[in-house]
Amino acid sequence: MSDLPPPSGPPPGDPGAVAFPPEAPAGTTPDEVAEAPGLDARERTLAPAAVTSWRISAALSLIMPVVVTSTLGFVFLDRWGWAVFGGWLVFATWLIGWLQPARYRRWRWQLTEQAVDLRHGVLIHQQETVPYFRIQQIDIVQGPLDRLLHLANLQVTTASASGSATLPGIPEDDAPQVRVELLARATQAVADHTGDLRDAV
Amino acid sequence: MILGIPAAQLVQVLVVPIAATFAAGGMVTLVMMIILGIVGLVARTLDWWFRTFSFDGEVLRVDHGVLSRNRRSLDVARIQQVEVQRGALMRVFGLAAIRVETAGSASEPEVDLRVVPEPDAFALRAAVRASQQRMGDHPVTQDGTEGPPAATRVLTVPMKHVVISSVTGARLLVLPAVIGGAFQFIGQQVGNFANRVTNYLIEQGIAVDPSELTGPDWRLVAMGAAGILVLSVIAAIVVGVLRDGRFRIDRDGEDLHVSRGLISTRESVVPLRRVQLVEVNRNWLRRLLGYATVRIRSAGGSTGGDGRVTVPLLPEQDVDDLLSELLPNVPGIPELHAHPTAARRRALFRWWRPALFTIAVVWLAPELLPFLDHPVVERAQWIVLALLPINTVLALVEYRQLAHGLTELVVASRRGALSISTSIAPVVKVQAVTNRRSPFQRRLGLTTLVAHVAGPGAVIEVLDAGRDAARSLHQRLSAHAASPTPVVPDRDRQVDDTAAAGPAGPSGRSEASTA
Repeated sequence: MSDLPPPSGPPPGDPGAVAFPPEAPAGTTPDEVAEAPGLDARERTLAPAAVTSWRISAALSLIMPVVVTSTLGFVFLDRWGWAVFGGWLVFATWLIGWLQPARYRRWRWQLTEQAVDLRHGVLIHQQETVPYFRIQQIDIVQGPLDRLLHLANLQVTTASASGSATLPGIPEDDAPQVRVELLARATQAVADHTGDLRDAV
Repeated sequence: MILGIPAAQLVQVLVVPIAATFAAGGMVTLVMMIILGIVGLVARTLDWWFRTFSFDGEVLRVDHGVLSRNRRSLDVARIQQVEVQRGALMRVFGLAAIRVETAGSASEPEVDLRVVPEPDAFALRAAVRASQQRMGDHPVTQDGTEGPPAATRVLTVPMKHVVISSVTGARLLVLPAVIGGAFQFIGQQVGNFANRVTNYLIEQGIAVDPSELTGPDWRLVAMGAAGILVLSVIAAIVVGVLRDGRFRIDRDGEDLHVSRGLISTRESVVPLRRVQLVEVNRNWLRRLLGYATVRIRSAGGSTGGDGRVTVPLLPEQDVDDLLSELLPNVPGIPELHAHPTAARRRALFRWWRPALFTIAVVWLAPELLPFLDHPVVERAQWIVLALLPINTVLALVEYRQLAHGLTELVVASRRGALSISTSIAPVVKVQAVTNRRSPFQRRLGLTTLVAHVAGPGAVIEVLDAGRDAARSLHQRLSAHAASPTPVVPDRDRQVDDTAAAGPAGPSGRSEASTA
């Protein structure tokens, strides 16, 4: 059912990452989980085109500072202007040539039994867990660059502004499917609770 | 339904600008201001005239708009909070303002009715509460009987504590700037007169002509500082007493009623089941005196600014009692666990970084910028060196305070060096969990974990917990968030099912957004 790319290569050996959930919580039988339609619980990577998208955005964001500081450098510092420019060149190479692919390699997302789990970050490793039960809204966002590369971003919003997560670089064609899947799981999670406990806020 | 007289508006719209105009002077401005004032008055009167509201027991309807009519319908189940505010002038005319909050994250209240006769305001609030209680399928009371119990006093803050709170609060730090600014503003307004006063002061030898100033006259600086400090203390007390005087919290069924203010009063209703986060703050001064402040955050975006209900001052030994009122079945601040010693290195690093940066700047700047080569700067160079030992002590204090705890009902985190803040949130309110590890933290085996609850900036941050502790915390909190069935021993289950999630109310998440 899923056209999503399987994980490429072994998952990043990350001793600090949290395996979630540790076990099936009480009251949830494996059958219930299997009934949920669609995507399974394996770890997924982003679409490879995401790297291209990030590289282009990184390059675009560098243009202004490079032009301004290099111009100032050449005007006021004479030959040292080249040093400024050279420094930028090294930084740009590192940023575009190494950091963006590394970011891509680190990105993993997973639909576990109870939550969307995102793991990413090259320098600062991050893990975000957004339980289906708390999902209030799911948006598909596509910028012009994303449309060109046939990518989409999935924004998962909870009642907490800071606790909302963005899943970048999903293939455009898969995004609606993932969204429907998440909505189904959110609805199911709410239906599993009764009375007061249904109230997520 | 609205019968109020727009007298408050008249005063607000006309008198203030006219007074301002006289201060500024100039006939043209005066005319302009009057025209603007009349236009504004007409607009506001029209707005008031066309803004009507009705409440039929289930839906609050507000119609407004002069040319394009808007109707807003608000289901009583979605209402988080009804707040009645009465300014000094409004009390004279028997008026009140109503703000109705829902659980949106918007910064504006959902419904803002600014001029309503006082009885109507209270009637609406009572009606909303009554129908919320009626719609809840089992209005839970302490003894299990049906029906709303009488309101009980939870907390009264005596005037003495309000005064202490004003003097020990952060407002005291802001006021000198405000007072200084006010002096400057008045100086500009009064113009020549101020100059004459300044000259007089210079002649009398009390002040020194700025143009003759070669170095700071420490005696004068000290005098000015003392003067501003005294004024600040007085102003802080006045502001604090006016704002927080007669602060009291009552509990009416499952709602908390918070009232405060001497002249302009403010009454908020916070449903207990909407309490998202409780923060116990103790700055160093209050810690010395044995006091704390407690801030209650509820969902409802625009409770904003001060609307997060803050108890101005509370003896430390009473904190646990208040907590058990705010978070039912929670006996107080839970047992907190300290973080591993590796966190001390991080704390030291965090505090040394700005200190070393400041020292580097102050020592290197005169080398690069010759005009900074001045005796004052030279003295400052030695003074900033003191930052290093000071920050070391602060880092050690911060490490000693770092702790977190998790029980079946709440998650708590404590941090801070000068001002120590303990945040406590019910686990059923946790919306999402994140953790992050920087390269330094990875090397030291530490993790920073953040539990997000609803409301702007409402998070519980567990800084630099041990990796394994953070991992287990992440798992347990995620499990709670995903399936908010309280995990409690069976004998307590009956109590906790209702209490942990609050009373049964008309529930239902926002269908609009998930649909």
